[in-house]
Amino acid sequence: MSLLQDAAGPVLEHAARPEGDASIFVSLHRWLIPEAFADQVPTWFVALGGIGIGLGLLIGLISVTVMFCVWLERKVSGHIQCRTGPMYAGGWHGWAQSIADGVKLLTKEDTVPKDADRTMFWIAPAIVLASIFGALAAMPISYDWWFGRMDLGVFAILALSSTTTIGVVMAGWASNSKWSLYGAMREAAQVVAYEIPLGLSLLAPLFALGTFSLGEASALQSGWFGMKWAIFTNPFLLPAFLIYAIAALAETKRAPFDLPEAESELVAGFMTEYSGIRWSFFFFEEYAAMLLMSIVGAFFWFGGFESPVTGALRSAGVEESSLLFGFVCFGTVMLKGLFGIFLMMWLRWTLPRVRIDQVMTMGYKYLTPLALVCVLGAACWEALVHALFS
Amino acid sequence: MTDTVGKSEVEQTPQDYKPSIRPEEQRTLPSGEKEFFFDVTTSDLEVNMGPQHPATHGVMRVLIRCDGELVTGAQAHLGYLHRCAEKIGENVEWLQYLPYTDRYDYLASMNNNLGYSLAVEALMPELEIPRRATLLRTICAELNRIASHLVAIGTYGLDIGAFTPFLYAFREREWIQALFEKICGARLTYSYIRIGGVFNDAPPGWLQEVGHFCDVFEEKWKEYHDLLAVNHVFVMRTANVGVIPKEMAIDFGLTGPMLRGSGVDFDLRRDMPYMAYGEAHEAGAFDVPLGEGKKGALGDCWDRFYVRMLEMKECIKLVRWCLEVIEDGPIIGDVPKVLKVPAGEAYVGIENPRGELGHYVHSDGGKVAVRCRVRGPSFVNLAVVEELMPGALLADSVAIIGSTDIVIGETDR
Amino acid sequence: MEFQAIHDRLKAQGAPGLLGFDEPRPANKKEKDPGRAGMPFVTVDHAHLVEFLRMCRDDDKLAFDILVDLTASDPSADSEELWILIQLLSLKHKHRLAIKAPLPKAAATVASATAIYRAAQWHERECAEMYGITFVGNPDPRHILLPDDWEGYPLRKDYEFPREYHGISCE
Repeated sequence: MSLLQDAAGPVLEHAARPEGDASIFVSLHRWLIPEAFADQVPTWFVALGGIGIGLGLLIGLISVTVMFCVWLERKVSGHIQCRTGPMYAGGWHGWAQSIADGVKLLTKEDTVPKDADRTMFWIAPAIVLASIFGALAAMPISYDWWFGRMDLGVFAILALSSTTTIGVVMAGWASNSKWSLYGAMREAAQVVAYEIPLGLSLLAPLFALGTFSLGEASALQSGWFGMKWAIFTNPFLLPAFLIYAIAALAETKRAPFDLPEAESELVAGFMTEYSGIRWSFFFFEEYAAMLLMSIVGAFFWFGGFESPVTGALRSAGVEESSLLFGFVCFGTVMLKGLFGIFLMMWLRWTLPRVRIDQVMTMGYKYLTPLALVCVLGAACWEALVHALFS
Repeated sequence: MTDTVGKSEVEQTPQDYKPSIRPEEQRTLPSGEKEFFFDVTTSDLEVNMGPQHPATHGVMRVLIRCDGELVTGAQAHLGYLHRCAEKIGENVEWLQYLPYTDRYDYLASMNNNLGYSLAVEALMPELEIPRRATLLRTICAELNRIASHLVAIGTYGLDIGAFTPFLYAFREREWIQALFEKICGARLTYSYIRIGGVFNDAPPGWLQEVGHFCDVFEEKWKEYHDLLAVNHVFVMRTANVGVIPKEMAIDFGLTGPMLRGSGVDFDLRRDMPYMAYGEAHEAGAFDVPLGEGKKGALGDCWDRFYVRMLEMKECIKLVRWCLEVIEDGPIIGDVPKVLKVPAGEAYVGIENPRGELGHYVHSDGGKVAVRCRVRGPSFVNLAVVEELMPGALLADSVAIIGSTDIVIGETDR
Repeated sequence: MEFQAIHDRLKAQGAPGLLGFDEPRPANKKEKDPGRAGMPFVTVDHAHLVEFLRMCRDDDKLAFDILVDLTASDPSADSEELWILIQLLSLKHKHRLAIKAPLPKAAATVASATAIYRAAQWHERECAEMYGITFVGNPDPRHILLPDDWEGYPLRKDYEFPREYHGISCE
């Protein structure tokens, strides 16, 4: 590891930012409170205000993205299936459909089955939602704006995003319905099986880049006019990405791995007994998880913030800490994330669902060994490059 | 009440729970310890698939006993949609019963009309059916067969988890329904084929549009083929699942695509021809596709699915042949308004999209039938499900029910 | 084979319980016969129905391998008997046979054909609940279309429609 880090030494220096603590809270309060009054504002107020604004921004940003994704899913599925999707709500191509759905779900009766475990039934969606928001908080918005700056960002994301499983299993168990239980057990089995190839396949770019931090990973890929993406630098990263993509589909319970929901077998799996806002929490989690998985993939394989646009901005002399650069970074990563989501939708509306034994076979028998090969290959390649060119 | 599935939860006594490892089966390890010193008791889970469940294609309940994901027993409970069709048949006039025939297999109403009409006509030897009527009947029955198979393969894709082929299939089915709407005014329950002929002649341009549909449909057929039939995931899910060997298919009295999927070469249209089918077969207008076990064992779900796919192509050929030979003429024979059918008994079976649809009618010479029996293919084909389920996975059970292509309206009548 | 040939074959083989046959015939005013339309069938003694079916299935020339339909009929409310009606089909020879087995209403019991044709099982269950015929030896004699607690046999001609069901009025 150290060997690889040494190889990337010069780049890392570039990546290291002087103001290390550039969390979004701090940057925000710098804008919001004029410098003249800065001393008079108590620290706790700054901290609380920062947290409040940060949380608000996070929830707002993710919610809007998720709502957009829901609308996108409807449009994409519609066009794949020779229909138009929503066309009326809001006027232009049904843009307000998600808002209308949200209002409907909010006002719908929140039913709890008679013999359900009420407490667990209520907590489960909250756990699911909280863990996915926690995972998304580790995502940088630009080089300077973070919700929570973490050097071990990938670990945090992997750990928190798997926590959703606990919520799902709780939901399935608490619903006191056999179909829900089946869904929950399938989810548990599937996540356990695919967590391994997911983590292993992520190790390959981690070896190649030599960092756990998402921001640093992006900075390391900023060469070649913003196109020094990890996937172009190491031949073992392409198979690693394919494994990651499959495992990510399984982790987010998307077709063809939507066995926990499996609407034609288990009615709606673990969500069968949920309605209204609590159901929408699970729905929300699914799309947020898709976004998360796509963005993590974008950061570690496809350059993160980097694209020819950022390359051009850099050569035009735009500072990385400037507002313009920040927005470009944010836009780039969002576009990459949305493209990943689009691919997931495309797969969902094309492929039938696989069977549980096939899912398990694929995870344990094929993806895990292949991911190990990719990790080893990526590491060896890096060592080779280091030995030859330094 | 004996349950073939086994004892229900209420009846299950503690003695019936058996430990997964019995004390006498435990091995002693070299260290002197018992191999397993815990005793886990497990019991199978009974799950109700239905009455409201997407996999049962209607209101049917399949009681499934599961050991984890593995199905160990299944029992079908029918009757949620029982509408006393046979009792009604004994209480309404001959012609009045025709709309009721629409309702049992609501996906293939033309064929139901046809089956009933042919059965009643079998009691009226002096009634002559005009040739144009026979050909119009054939066209409609075959178009309806395509529509029915489209639903079958579309919903089968839905069962397996592919949503898109379903809507592709409905796109073409919509066109067929529009064609039917033009000829008889109804989209689902047609009552178009009447005793003695058909009730309405084809409007101008209708036959040309049917020809156009045939051309377009052959192109669209390739889409379903690529999207489902040769889709790797779909093949993985359906090949070697729910295998019905030849002998079993015959023993259970399966008919139609279920029988042919098992490789039994029998089609009523060819082997016991009625209407113009004999003539059409001599002209080489259609073949009978059979299951060949291409992707797995002979008689698996994929074979049954693929027989339906191929049959749609044969239907197109048949419709084309009819369009070639059809000529102008009367469309209905001489049938009085108040029909008195001569005394006698007749059983007529026709090839419905799902198998042999049989009508047994018994007349005492009056205005009302003495007995009007409907032998629905779905009812018979469903019986095999209980036999296929044990040993399948839960997801396979959905694939098996889907591959039988049942219509609950017909199983329950 | 045509119906007459099938009947002759059955007769030549000494089919158990074969009583006779009935074919459609034109009306005959002289003998006051109203005539009969439709299709021919053989009549079989219900006590030997199972052996008869076994012979139909196993005989090479007949080879009726599919039991298409098994049902019953109640010809009229005054009738002393019910009919069991069976349709057989041969895949090999591509011919059909209709069987009618009269059964006294008072003792409507007949042996089950499930051992010979598995297809008979559900048909018999339906027949049993609709006509009150007991099929001895059916492995699963539950109701199939009607609720388990349904009273009466709806397809019998003397069936009286229920006034209420579980306290719900049907008037």
